[in-house]
Amino acid sequence: MDGILTILLFFPLLAGLLGFVVNKDSIRAYGIAVASIEFLLSLWLWMSFDVTHAGFQFVENIPLVSDFGISYYVGVDGISLFIIIMATLMTLIGIIALNIKKDIKNLIITLLFLEVAMVGVFISLDAILFYLFWEFSLVPMLYIIGAWGGERRLYAAIKFFLYTFTGSLIMLVGMLYVAYVYHSVSGSWSFAITDWYALILPLDVEKWLFWAFFLGFAIKVPMFPFHTWLPYAHGQAPTVGSVILAAVLLKMGTYGFIRFSLPMFPDASVLYITPVAILAIIMIIYTAMVAYAQEDMKQTIAYSSVSHMGVIIIGTFAMNAEGITGSVFLMLSHGIVSGALFLLVGSIYDRRHTKLMSEFGGLASVMPKYAVIYGIMLMASVGLPLTIGFVGEYLSLAGFYKISPIMTVLAGTSIILGAVYMLNLYKRSFFGPVTHEANATLNDLDGKELAALVPLVLIVVWLGVYPKPVLVPIDNSVKALTSFMHEKAQTRVAKATIVVSKKNKEMK
Amino acid sequence: MENLVYIALFAPLAGSLFAALFGMSKKNIITGIVTSTLIFISFVASAILFSHVMTVGPVHVRMMDWIMAGDMLIPFGFLVDQISVTMMTVVTLVSTVVHIYSNGYMDHDKSFNRFFSYLSAFVFSMMVLVMSDNFLGLFIGWEGVGVCSWLLIGFWYHKEDVSREVNPSISPSWAANEAFIMNRIADLGMLVGIFILYWNVGSLQYDVVFAALPNLSDGILVAAAVALFIGAMGKSAQFPLHTWLTDAMEGPTPVSALIHAATMVTAGVFLVIRANPLYSMEAVHWVSYFIAALGTFVAVFAASMALVNRDLKRIIAFSTLSQLGYMFAAAGLGAYWIALFHLAAHAFFKALLFLGAGNVMHAMDGELDIFKMGGLKKVMRWTYLYMGVASLALSGIGIAGIGFAGYFSKDAIIEVAFNEHTYVLWTILVLTAGLTAFYSFRQVFLTFHGNERYHALGIHPHEMYGYVLVALSPLAILAVVAGFYKDWFEHFVTKLLPEYHMSEHTHHIAWILGLLVIAFAVGGIVLAYIKYNRGLKRNEKLERSFVYRLLSNQYYIPIFYEKTISKPYAALSRFSWGTVDQKVVDATVDGIGKFIKTTGDTTRKIQTGNLSDYLRWMAGGALLLVAIAFVAFKLSQGAH
Repeated sequence: MDGILTILLFFPLLAGLLGFVVNKDSIRAYGIAVASIEFLLSLWLWMSFDVTHAGFQFVENIPLVSDFGISYYVGVDGISLFIIIMATLMTLIGIIALNIKKDIKNLIITLLFLEVAMVGVFISLDAILFYLFWEFSLVPMLYIIGAWGGERRLYAAIKFFLYTFTGSLIMLVGMLYVAYVYHSVSGSWSFAITDWYALILPLDVEKWLFWAFFLGFAIKVPMFPFHTWLPYAHGQAPTVGSVILAAVLLKMGTYGFIRFSLPMFPDASVLYITPVAILAIIMIIYTAMVAYAQEDMKQTIAYSSVSHMGVIIIGTFAMNAEGITGSVFLMLSHGIVSGALFLLVGSIYDRRHTKLMSEFGGLASVMPKYAVIYGIMLMASVGLPLTIGFVGEYLSLAGFYKISPIMTVLAGTSIILGAVYMLNLYKRSFFGPVTHEANATLNDLDGKELAALVPLVLIVVWLGVYPKPVLVPIDNSVKALTSFMHEKAQTRVAKATIVVSKKNKEMK
Repeated sequence: MENLVYIALFAPLAGSLFAALFGMSKKNIITGIVTSTLIFISFVASAILFSHVMTVGPVHVRMMDWIMAGDMLIPFGFLVDQISVTMMTVVTLVSTVVHIYSNGYMDHDKSFNRFFSYLSAFVFSMMVLVMSDNFLGLFIGWEGVGVCSWLLIGFWYHKEDVSREVNPSISPSWAANEAFIMNRIADLGMLVGIFILYWNVGSLQYDVVFAALPNLSDGILVAAAVALFIGAMGKSAQFPLHTWLTDAMEGPTPVSALIHAATMVTAGVFLVIRANPLYSMEAVHWVSYFIAALGTFVAVFAASMALVNRDLKRIIAFSTLSQLGYMFAAAGLGAYWIALFHLAAHAFFKALLFLGAGNVMHAMDGELDIFKMGGLKKVMRWTYLYMGVASLALSGIGIAGIGFAGYFSKDAIIEVAFNEHTYVLWTILVLTAGLTAFYSFRQVFLTFHGNERYHALGIHPHEMYGYVLVALSPLAILAVVAGFYKDWFEHFVTKLLPEYHMSEHTHHIAWILGLLVIAFAVGGIVLAYIKYNRGLKRNEKLERSFVYRLLSNQYYIPIFYEKTISKPYAALSRFSWGTVDQKVVDATVDGIGKFIKTTGDTTRKIQTGNLSDYLRWMAGGALLLVAIAFVAFKLSQGAH
């Protein structure tokens, strides 16, 4: 079983390189085959994962630059496991649904490289390694938007790159500082996250570092007011770009909070709950309103992503296992649902070459299958119980209620405002008479599109009805995280705020 | 018994999924038959469970875990006790009739199969709602009925939006969205109630929560009671979240009968009855009183709007709203079992009334304006009989222990209001009983008596199919006889629900009170007879009066909501996007980018390539550094 993570990481890289010699006509099949194998590998990871064990598993630690304590240090726990599976799944789905003819070979190879970066980010346990993959993920996406995007693709691509890059640099400075402190305390260099966890920082330092990391993560999420790169990126990106961006790349930010900020700076995290939550609430309410004002279907979904990411942030900063488990689950469900919604928008764009809602109306009569799948995803997006969307949203809000009832009510408006913009979108596009003649003869979803979407529908229902197989491993790791944070916290406020679950209390 | 619980619960789901298989194909009568049969099976299972609960006791099953995180553990568990089995039986009985009825009513609809899929899915959601053994399970059904009602109200989604003058509900899809969003507003309250209970009790199971109530502080109890009731207000369309209910009449009529009369809208009442240990707590007595007062207000408020309405279905919808008010009045005053009894009785006669209205609509080619009907009793004898019986039941006609279903249930509520010394509520409820009788029979007379105004429209009305009329008979029978089971029912449910006893004083004068109510009800019918039996004589002056217009425009509340909420929200949204997001937030980001670029462009000129220039800069820089070092040195000395 050893080395499974290395296989998972390097397989798409090698396959991507090999892709250059594959015949152009068979590249699609090749891409699907590689992505399928990678997905199966990630499932194998899940099968071999010990769900009762909360810590990191499949750990590999090979020193790279031992003088500076930089190593190839990888491992997964319940928190990262499912995000990795989702990343490989969405890459596969994205390639299946590909409808681009232009330079398809380069596109598929780029997607495989992107997959390497995504897997890399979520398995890295060394800060430098993490940072390398974090930045490396920008390049393929830059290329995807810049080469296969819409009219203003260069502006969007560069904005995306520079904006997130700026944030990352500040995070890098933070990382170097942590390493410096570690060195001055212990006398040796280390970038291993697990070593950093053990480091008890002075409170002032914690505060500064919290914000340094915060900037890097917040821009990636993207949190208000750092979100304006996202609508451009989505607006210009081809469908597959949007799918991966929304499903996986945004999750790097929220994952960062859980992997770095909470365990490394528990006191600062508790101290800054209120300002962070206020930003998250603004994200939820304000971007939901902006989403309602959109004319373009894809922009509505792009802004809705930001709004839902706000709920994830709320759950992350709940400081109890209910909320944090909920936020990790919501990352997964948002990935599946927003990915599916972007695919659906892509389908109609391929047919009509427009995404404006005013151009549609009555689609339910013409494309019933499309309408049904869209409807299911819509309901998952607004958090209907027994769909995947409910579990995470409910747990995140329930968790945060412990922190502040009033802010929970404000964040909870997400369930109302989400329904407002999504139902409005659905009504304008799918209901009413068919007003445009061009819509009257549209074909319903074809086999390829169904092959991409139906699995997502099944997951939406399965994990909505029976989320236990996914929730339990996440929850185990999160419970370990909260009890660790509780133990590490120095201030009394933090000790009082971080809730240790009963089971972990008993274990002590 | 466990198997029966699962059969009762999952038979409707099986039906829904079966019909969904044919959802996109042409009408297939099989879907209608299969779904109806499965609902009937569910009814039989519920009935058997009913007798089991009566003879043996409640059944509690735990199917599997659902959500687990932190210390939270939510299972799929189902509890069949006196409250839920009553609801199950009523829901499946009415649903069976509605399903059979729909076979005829939706006969010519091209989306026949899709309709049955939604209808059965709705029944499944309602069963989850009433059977769950915890608050979050209830919330599943709660949201489930919301979605199904969204699908069913918007069933004829292809119709386009029209102005409020033409159709007060604008369009089916508009009404569907309104219903969903308004319910969602209330659902947030419900969720908050769930959070409060979870963090203070540590569980959401009914038994655990109710057992822990005495240990909770007053503030927590009040907060939980208020939050849960906000949820109930949405589903049961209580003021100010009531406008969706009448607009929901855009759905096909069987939907109105099932969802917007007999089942979904009673979910709020059910929640209050289910949580009766909470609402009976001394600490929350004023919340309960508020529930009763709001219910009473809604009773008269809705009845007043029904007085002048011309739309057959909307009149019945208003009467539903009004009767829900009665139920809340009873529940708020602590007479939970009477509320449940009225809920059941109302389900029977209201479903009958709606389905009768469906027959009329079917006969009138979809026409709903009662001013354009009249004299239909000649061609629709059975429908006339059914609607007449249902209206008598709704008006609460009966005397000296003999009467229609509503006589027993509604009278008891009015008596409770007297018994609790809430005389203002009592007066209003008595008055409303008169109004109810008046508008019910105004509708009956305008539809079935008098001159045949429909000739002007060139319509040839005809009676509904025979089997449909037969299918309606159980409801008609129950509307007549349900009341006789009152004592039996009381005995059954008060094993679980608190008993309610009238004081000696009330008991003594009960017959006078009853007589008074009957007098009002009969007075209302007589008035309606005088005014409308001969036919329609329109009073232009009255129709132009302020009060009439106020009532017929629903107190201008829908327009008020549009002007003060929807429109400003849309405007604010556009402002957030166009101005804040693009011109402030994003412009700042681009501004920073431009600033860096301009700075770079400007300072680039330093790079002249001339060595002496560079030397000059270097010397200047060195001087500057020395100066800074000097100042810093001085400052640090000063600090010491």
